[in-house]
Amino acid sequence: MESNRREIEVMANLLSANDVQAAVNREHFLKNKCLAINVIGSPGAGKTSLLEKTLPLLTPDMHVGVIEGDIFTSKDADRIAAHGVPVIQINTGGGCHLDSKMVSKAMPAFNWQATDLMIIENVGNLICPGDFDLGEAFKIIVLSIVEGDDKPAKYPVIFRNAKAVVLNKMDLEAYTDVNMENMRKDILAINPDIQIFEVSCRNGDGLKVWTSWLCQEVKAYQQNRD
Amino acid sequence: MHEMSLMGGVFEVIEKTISQHDIKLVLQVKLKVGELTNADPEALQMVFEAFCKDTICEGAELIIERVPVLGRCRNCQLEFTVKTMFFLCPACQDTNIEVIQGEELLLESLEVE
Repeated sequence: MESNRREIEVMANLLSANDVQAAVNREHFLKNKCLAINVIGSPGAGKTSLLEKTLPLLTPDMHVGVIEGDIFTSKDADRIAAHGVPVIQINTGGGCHLDSKMVSKAMPAFNWQATDLMIIENVGNLICPGDFDLGEAFKIIVLSIVEGDDKPAKYPVIFRNAKAVVLNKMDLEAYTDVNMENMRKDILAINPDIQIFEVSCRNGDGLKVWTSWLCQEVKAYQQNRD
Repeated sequence: MHEMSLMGGVFEVIEKTISQHDIKLVLQVKLKVGELTNADPEALQMVFEAFCKDTICEGAELIIERVPVLGRCRNCQLEFTVKTMFFLCPACQDTNIEVIQGEELLLESLEVE
């Protein structure tokens, strides 16, 4: 029998299903003048702690909602709910990142007329979440300095694609060998436009500067839609 | 291990292609994976085999072409390969670099019969 062996050119994006839903999510955020941010960092970097410290500074001026990604538990959502902020837990059931479909399923639970800022805390992981657009306006990295000053160079994809990085646990600088000059230099070499914030969620240092930047971003986003 | 999700994307495209063509067997699947993505070729190979089992792709070969990162300097327009992930123009030392290649996650082609 004659072989019918042939090549079919496809050229299809592997993430197209995710990207299509992400575009729908983005449109939804735009329509409701809600700045959505995707918070990414390793397990233990302090993503939830940062939210816990940031929310009380934000809520007098704006309505905030939180989507919490976690593999199995609702521990993080419980911590956020204790601050009186609407929060939805997404359990990925073993999945290492949130995708745009999971976020879209959580959306009906919020009152969008009264949400200025939606904070999406991704699953603790510096790698996989970088490839999945959720429809957010921008990504924020939380990196604790005790993870080491080599981390930006080791995970360049995420640093290249984030608008800001919050360097947490600055209160521990004296107890570690981290070289903050190298850390800042490497971050800016990968992404010269990135904003760097140095904070300690434990003693509160730097949180006001970070929070007022975030407030400005919300205002700028909403004004651009007026 | 988000390679599982990526491979889900590969198979969505394969199924769509199968539905549009007369295909009895898939012999080879070609992917283009940019170096400025977090997809690990070894993990992709592993999950590919799992996805192929009991389908017309069983036994197919997965070819992964790694695409190097190319940058273009917004100051002097020089195009260069970004090797160390530090985005610095080798000619004028500007840091304002546009990535023009290296972020691909593509199913390039299928070899079928």
